[in-house]
Amino acid sequence: MSPTDPRTGTRDSVSQSYLTASLLALWLTWRKIERQLERIADRANPILVKETRQALKSRQFISTFLLILAACWIASLGGMAIIGPQIYYAAAGSEMLLAYYAILAFPLTIIVPYSAYRSLATEQEENTYELLSITALSPSQIVNGKLGSAMVQMLIYLSAVSPCIAFTLLLRGVEPLTVAVLLLHTVLGSMGLSMLAILAGAVSRVNYSQILVSVGLVLILTWTFGLAMASAATFVYEGYSTLRERSFWIANLAVLTFYFTTFALAYTAATARLSFASANRSTPLRWAMLIQQACFLGWMAALASAEGGASILATVFASGFILGIYWYLMGTLLTGEWPHLSQRVQRTLPQSTLGRMLFTWFNPGAGTGYLFSVANLTAVVAAGLIVLFSIKPSAAARWPVFNESAAYFLVIGWGYVVAFLGLGRLLINITRRFTYLPLAGCFLLHLVLLMMASGLPLAARLMVSRRQFSSTGSVLEITNPFLTLEPYTSSSAAPTNAPLTTIMVLTAALVVLLLNLRSVVRELQHHRIALPERVVEEEAALHPPQIPAPSNPWEHQ
Amino acid sequence: MIQPRRPLIELRQLRRYFGETRAVDDVSFEVHSGEVFGYIGPNGAGKTTSMRILATLDEPTSGDALVDGFSVVEDPDRVRTRLGFMPDYFGTYRNVNVRDYLDFFARSYGLHGRRRLRAIDYVMRFTLLDQLADKPIDGLSKGMKGRLCLGRTMIHDPAVMVLDEPAAGLDPRARIELREMIAQLAANGKAILISSHILTELAEICNKIAILEKGRLLTVGSIAEISAQAEIVCQVHLSLLTGTDRLQRWLENCDGVRDVSVVDTHFSLTHEGGPNEQALLLRQIVEAGFEVVEFSSKTKSLEDIFLHVTEGRVQ
Ligand SMILES: Nc1ncnc2c1ncn2[C@@H]1O[C@H](COP(=O)(O)OP(=O)(O)O)[C@@H](O)[C@H]1O
Ligand SMILES: [Mg+2]
Repeated sequence: MSPTDPRTGTRDSVSQSYLTASLLALWLTWRKIERQLERIADRANPILVKETRQALKSRQFISTFLLILAACWIASLGGMAIIGPQIYYAAAGSEMLLAYYAILAFPLTIIVPYSAYRSLATEQEENTYELLSITALSPSQIVNGKLGSAMVQMLIYLSAVSPCIAFTLLLRGVEPLTVAVLLLHTVLGSMGLSMLAILAGAVSRVNYSQILVSVGLVLILTWTFGLAMASAATFVYEGYSTLRERSFWIANLAVLTFYFTTFALAYTAATARLSFASANRSTPLRWAMLIQQACFLGWMAALASAEGGASILATVFASGFILGIYWYLMGTLLTGEWPHLSQRVQRTLPQSTLGRMLFTWFNPGAGTGYLFSVANLTAVVAAGLIVLFSIKPSAAARWPVFNESAAYFLVIGWGYVVAFLGLGRLLINITRRFTYLPLAGCFLLHLVLLMMASGLPLAARLMVSRRQFSSTGSVLEITNPFLTLEPYTSSSAAPTNAPLTTIMVLTAALVVLLLNLRSVVRELQHHRIALPERVVEEEAALHPPQIPAPSNPWEHQ
Repeated sequence: MIQPRRPLIELRQLRRYFGETRAVDDVSFEVHSGEVFGYIGPNGAGKTTSMRILATLDEPTSGDALVDGFSVVEDPDRVRTRLGFMPDYFGTYRNVNVRDYLDFFARSYGLHGRRRLRAIDYVMRFTLLDQLADKPIDGLSKGMKGRLCLGRTMIHDPAVMVLDEPAAGLDPRARIELREMIAQLAANGKAILISSHILTELAEICNKIAILEKGRLLTVGSIAEISAQAEIVCQVHLSLLTGTDRLQRWLENCDGVRDVSVVDTHFSLTHEGGPNEQALLLRQIVEAGFEVVEFSSKTKSLEDIFLHVTEGRVQ
């Protein structure tokens, strides 16, 4: 404190108290913000908090971060040295941007997703996963925490490179919109890859599958990095024109729809995988599939109505083709569910007649899973047939023929999916009577069935004679869906044996469907059961029934 | 109507088979609040398997286990909030110190704000870890890690604690500390299930013990009850002036006497029966004309009882 001057003492003390007051106000505001931050940190996802703390202490993370900073430096200095003083007027921005993008894309497409995978895999190796799984954390909290940590890492890398990227905006040849779109895509891509990596980590529990999965993941990630670099290069050089095309944005929107629905599916699958056995792990997955299908069909319908004419046929055909494969793949997994319904699931089954009619096929179980895939594909094929028969065959001469073979394609394809899924499910049922068969085993069983059905007749034909049945699509090879369906995909007329093939495949499908029906019906007959007494007791203690206060005079009696 | 007290842990005909192996085979028992229940059996008896089922980490093949009335199969979420499980491994994270480790589990059990801080402080004091708060857990000794795991197990103040061989590998001092902590926890009203393959380790703190072998419960009860159940077996020492050979022959025809061995004039033998039977044996020997100089007997230790209970039951 300086000695007070008697003449200016009052003014000093006034300004001093003014200063003190404003400092106090500032301090109070700061405290408020701090308390808010504390509240947020207190409620933040525990895994996110822990992993952020861990990352800050981890040598690997810090060295990666420093490496990226160093790479940015080198790129900047090197770039400037090569381009020289004309850097500000030569259109060198694109090259610089791509160099920085490579530095950013590497951690975002490879390091971040792979560490997300490792972080879940390490939990299982070091036995901490079990400790975690018996806490009050829900599976979705675990997935959120892992995803959140990946995003925090991503943001840190992004913030390290973004000053450099901002610098390229000053150079010629780089548009802010291009950079924004590029970064948005990369960030979304990184998140999506991290989600897939977490799913992979959740799925691979045993050692040998872990090795397989981690090798596969590394391959996919490196491949994605290459893809990201290639597409970034095209985009940066041609971005100016691409960004002005309407179709670019529409395609982007379509891709985003696919991205988000797949993300949701992977998220639901990962949480289902981490849930305990008696939980309902299937219904959310089925909703995710249904929504994805609806989005896909919506886009296809929009495409068909926008283009009109010949493309309607193409869209119907493509939708049937893609959804046929989709429901076959989903069906191989859904039919691997356990037919046994836990009491916990039975507590929440739909109760009303309407609810039972509408939602029973969402119940977990192999039978309902089969029904779910078949029903969805049936609806798609029926809708496709209606469209096919309602469009006027006037635009081009060869249309009616093509319509016909597309219709055959849809019906026969439907028959194959129904028959193969059903047969596989029967085999799974039989196998499970003797031994334990995990979900992956069921998937493999379906695959082997399909391979044998398509491979064996082919081998037999090659062995017997080369000439006799040289035409593809022969009825003798009807168990091979690929060979049988191939002739229907070209625009020429449907093969002459199409009706016979259809009848045979449909008969097989119906027979298999009937064979499956008994156990499907058994699964459908589950009813809701009452909550255990102890649960009711605790619920009553936790949420005591409130006596509703009359809120308006009409409630008085 | 008097409400019977609900057991905090209840196993009902619990079975868990791994293929042909019957790891747990028809096990039932109850543990009440404030009880320390010793779960004893040799390696491979099925202790860990049944404890993992109780901790909702595994599922029974049949039967059920209930924690505070909730089924571990159907309501694992409700079980988890009231149960602390300490497995026979540590489960540590890299780059995490003691306080952060406890903080993480406190958060994971849904503790917030002051409650969390208080819980962490309490646990660190209770487990004598408060001096080590900032130490990375990789660098802890085995005893410290054991305490840390106990701390993690009790961080959410569970009513039920399941401890799988917590004393394994601890030095005697750490063992005493552990025993004191467990007694304290039981005094606070928790139900504690604690396993060991060494009976004596638990004898002092357990109200009740169950002996398990090959997945089957051999016996359940307090130590006194079990000792009474198992017929008492004593080690008897005898010395004679003369007539060693004759006594040996005599003893071999005697009921309840086994494993007779002779060194000079000293006999040592196993005798089945309590003090009354021993007095009778001595009188018979004396009445048969032998000149007994020394007769002493020692009841077998708890360890011997354990061996006695489990022996000969191997299928
Ligand atoms: N995951 C498993 N798969 C197959 N067998 C197992 C598994 N876990 C335990 N077992 C078997 O179950 C039996 C009981 O093991 P465990 O419960 O670990 O015994 P304890 O803890 O009493 O030493 C052992 O024979 C063991 O081999
Ligand atoms: Mg064990």
